[in-house]
Amino acid sequence: MQLVHSELPSHRTDATSSIMTYATSSNMTNKIDHPQLCQWLKSIAVDRDKQAFTEVFSFFAPKIKRIAQSKINSEALAAEVVQDTMSNVWRKAHLFDDSKGAATTWVYTIMRNVTFDLLRKMKANKEDNLSDDIWPLAESLNTEEEVFSDHIQSRNLQGIIDTLPENQQQVVKGFYFMEMSQEQLAVHLDLPLGTIKSRLRLALGKLKLKLGDHHD
Amino acid sequence: MIKHHPKLELLQSFVDGDLPASLAAGIAIHADMCAFCQQKIGHLTEQVAEASFEQDLSPKSAVIDISPEISAMSFDEIIDQITASNDVEPAAVVHEERLITFKGMEYTLPNTLRNMELGKTAQIGKLSRARLNLGEGEIHTNLLHIGPGGSIPEHTHKGFELTLLLAGTFADEQGEYVAGDFIMLDKRHQHQPATEHGCLCYTVANDALHFTQGINKLLNPIGAFIY
Ligand SMILES: [Zn+2]
Repeated sequence: MQLVHSELPSHRTDATSSIMTYATSSNMTNKIDHPQLCQWLKSIAVDRDKQAFTEVFSFFAPKIKRIAQSKINSEALAAEVVQDTMSNVWRKAHLFDDSKGAATTWVYTIMRNVTFDLLRKMKANKEDNLSDDIWPLAESLNTEEEVFSDHIQSRNLQGIIDTLPENQQQVVKGFYFMEMSQEQLAVHLDLPLGTIKSRLRLALGKLKLKLGDHHD
Repeated sequence: MIKHHPKLELLQSFVDGDLPASLAAGIAIHADMCAFCQQKIGHLTEQVAEASFEQDLSPKSAVIDISPEISAMSFDEIIDQITASNDVEPAAVVHEERLITFKGMEYTLPNTLRNMELGKTAQIGKLSRARLNLGEGEIHTNLLHIGPGGSIPEHTHKGFELTLLLAGTFADEQGEYVAGDFIMLDKRHQHQPATEHGCLCYTVANDALHFTQGINKLLNPIGAFIY
């Protein structure tokens, strides 16, 4: 199978939604009770609720064990993955933010990271625990802020852009940060090209004013 | 504008946690600079997470499945042990920026690299490199700095070579590259990057370079030096 970056099927886009909002709820199956999982994680975070943790544990632990076992091929180490992952869930539940993604995605990230560090310890004999640097848990899900926070040069600009009206922000961010063309933006936002152009012009006028003339 | 991105297969392996740390870090750095790939990774992660946890396992049968000799502790014991701890992860950890200087030019390292063990910097002419000691055998990972006006002699690869531009620009026959460009080459490709104002790259390669042109064959030791 030859897949080229530019030919990737893009995920479903809702014309009315902002291009910055990542639709975390798309493609969810009915098999997993996501609201319930979120509720349990909240109870763990807020009340240190052991019963809620037991529920979360019962849901995830057997599956984690099975997945880890197929990856590591050792039952003892798979048990270690279960323990480490679930202990992270207990300690980090307050960091879970259900507006940023599903509970399954959050637990998956923890499990994947624990497994990665363990395999690295075995294969490369390294205990550097790099996984949280490669897949930072707190930042691993897409929000507008996080996507752009690492653009060092963009930091000041970002603050100023945030003061623009929402519809102008969308266009400016798409154009400058996501490097979409005005034509692409028109398709993406389902707006006439003229609207994109006029919003961009309006926004740039305001930005120039706020940034001063030395920026162009 | 970033034009070169990791292929989907690579993003999928990244999400699955199946890549070596060197390549995974390269993709993480790229995704920090590329909103499109960041979004794809988010989407893939969500899918694989859903697929991982949707199997219908009733808790009871699973507990029986995990028999006592598999794990020293029963699930109940593990739960007791975990919940006995009052430790809570601090919400926001502020990391100090890690800086690196090549030939008087100072760079902030991407956060992804902040805990990697960095070797000493070695130099040949306008090229400077510092090895990242990841312990991945034949896969070598480096920070490679090319000073203003510098270039890498034309070469091909016996294996794969990833060049991720972290700062500055360079150009080869294919065109101009900017920070964030993720350039994965294999043995079919040749390239000869040159930089006008200097640049810093993160490179990962699994074999020494093979230099292709006349005098450059004499420079073969540079291959081992760079990658
Ligand atoms: Zn990309």
